[in-house]
Amino acid sequence: MLLVFGLNLLALAAACLSLSRHHRDLFGSAPSESRVRLLRIVALMDGALALAYAIHVIGVELGIVYWACLLMIAGAALVLLLAWRPRWALPTAAAMPVVGGVLAVLG
Amino acid sequence: MSLRQSMSGLHTWAGLLVSWILFVVLFSGTVAVFDKELTRWMIPQLHKLEQVKVGADPVRELIVERAPKAHGYWMHPPTERMPYWTAGWEPADFSEFQSFLVDAQSGEVLPKTVGGNFFLELHYELHGGLLGLYVVGVAGVFMLVALVSGVIVHRRIFKDFFTLRPKAARQRAWLDAHNVLGVLGLPFHLLMAYTGLAIFITFYMTAGIKVAYKSDMEHFFHDVQGAFEREELGKPAKATKSIDNMILKAREAWGDDSQVGWINIEHPADAAAMVQIRKAVDKGMVNDQRTVSFDSGTGALLHVQKPYKPGYKTYAWLTGLHMAQFGNDLLRVMYFVLGLVGCVMVFGGLQVWVSKREARGHRGVALVRTLNGAVCGGLPMASLGLLAASRLLPAELLQRTRWEATVFVVIWLLALVHALLRRGSRAMAREQFVALAALALLLPVLSLFGPEPGRVTTHFASGDWMMVGIDLGLLLIGGLCAFLGWRLGQERAAPVRERRARNEEYA
Repeated sequence: MLLVFGLNLLALAAACLSLSRHHRDLFGSAPSESRVRLLRIVALMDGALALAYAIHVIGVELGIVYWACLLMIAGAALVLLLAWRPRWALPTAAAMPVVGGVLAVLG
Repeated sequence: MSLRQSMSGLHTWAGLLVSWILFVVLFSGTVAVFDKELTRWMIPQLHKLEQVKVGADPVRELIVERAPKAHGYWMHPPTERMPYWTAGWEPADFSEFQSFLVDAQSGEVLPKTVGGNFFLELHYELHGGLLGLYVVGVAGVFMLVALVSGVIVHRRIFKDFFTLRPKAARQRAWLDAHNVLGVLGLPFHLLMAYTGLAIFITFYMTAGIKVAYKSDMEHFFHDVQGAFEREELGKPAKATKSIDNMILKAREAWGDDSQVGWINIEHPADAAAMVQIRKAVDKGMVNDQRTVSFDSGTGALLHVQKPYKPGYKTYAWLTGLHMAQFGNDLLRVMYFVLGLVGCVMVFGGLQVWVSKREARGHRGVALVRTLNGAVCGGLPMASLGLLAASRLLPAELLQRTRWEATVFVVIWLLALVHALLRRGSRAMAREQFVALAALALLLPVLSLFGPEPGRVTTHFASGDWMMVGIDLGLLLIGGLCAFLGWRLGQERAAPVRERRARNEEYA
């Protein structure tokens, strides 16, 4: 489930970066139009991947509930990071799916 | 007036009116996610269950001993989350259900406690019976109103999706928090408000049952669940057969590895006496119970309940989604976190209301602030006080559960008096945080002086991570409150000019 959380977090981080305020805060400039589109596609695909994986592991009924809860919690975590530790936000979002993936393979 | 303006007024005032009740409902609901774990925590005398040595028959004897003439007997065998026998009876005069817990290994009757159930009852009826149920229902409808109008009022729902600026001016910062938590948690909030209302649909929308069932709600539920019933014969009951054998037969009838849940004995004193065995709530969303009924006198199998039909299954699914008995501990942790998000959202909304009107010297500000302190600070304090009472009150105390509830009420009243004296000021908030920190940090320490099986060290040694988690959570809450109390003290000292400069930056 950490993998689902990580993928959700990454998806939301991508969605967040597609907003000019947050892109400016983290990279110093507003994103170009093509980059906005790319980030949104990545966000959607990544979120869908998380959902598909959750359903694959625990079935449709529970998969959707767990995915939705983890998505909301990932959003809250991202907001907290952006507010108090903005520099940690992207590294955390990038590391989480990797850690989750490794644990999923090992476990 | 535009739609957004009128919705803004609705959101502000409809929200404010019910926000304190909503805070109580949300907070107690959040805590009640772990009701069974809290019950276990509140009985430090309970040993770790290695092996179930006590069967259903001795437990029945314990109940009959206490209530030879009850209307019905109920018992629940130990499960993973409830590692003890729950036993109880419906008194002959249909007064309140009486229950007690039994150690499934030693057969000892455990000390009485209100347990986590206290928070559950606070959540759905404010301990106020039918009236409380309706008050919570009204608050739930208002919550839906506030959520929908909030979405309409929000000007930049996507642009501000991730925006939280804690260093901005108070009003801005709280508005951000209120918005961001409301929007991010919206699916959860909407779902919980809606399914919460759906659970008590038969109380809130009564017309159908009044017409079709002449107000006989029990008859309605029997019909839709496909339950089995027998009329009393008016003859004395025969000697009872072993329930433990019936459990084996019920398991055969189910044909799977389901755990046994509630067992009840209907018409215990009559020849029509009947033992009914249900499936326990397990990892699935819908528990259709599959009640197996036996004749108590002969042990013959009378009826096996069919799986729910689609209509009732939908209802069971919606209520299941709300009550979070499915899935594993992770699910309950997630519900707990999202519940806290809801609490902070409500509190954030109140803070926005206050900080918007503070500068203007609005007359209501003092009242709202006092109520904020009394409810949003008082309830967590009273809850921690209740946990402390369950650990401190002597185990043999008469009417022990009443004393626990009294401690809860007294602490809450003290918090109200304190909030009134301090008029909801910053100093009040600071003192509340200090009190919360002291209580929360004290509880795990307190456990070290209590009965051995309930100590945090014992749980740690036996790898009971749920119980360790509760104590660690309390330490965490205590640390956080201590930090916030310290910060509030610091903030008062910080020059106002600095804050104002930051405000301009964000303007």
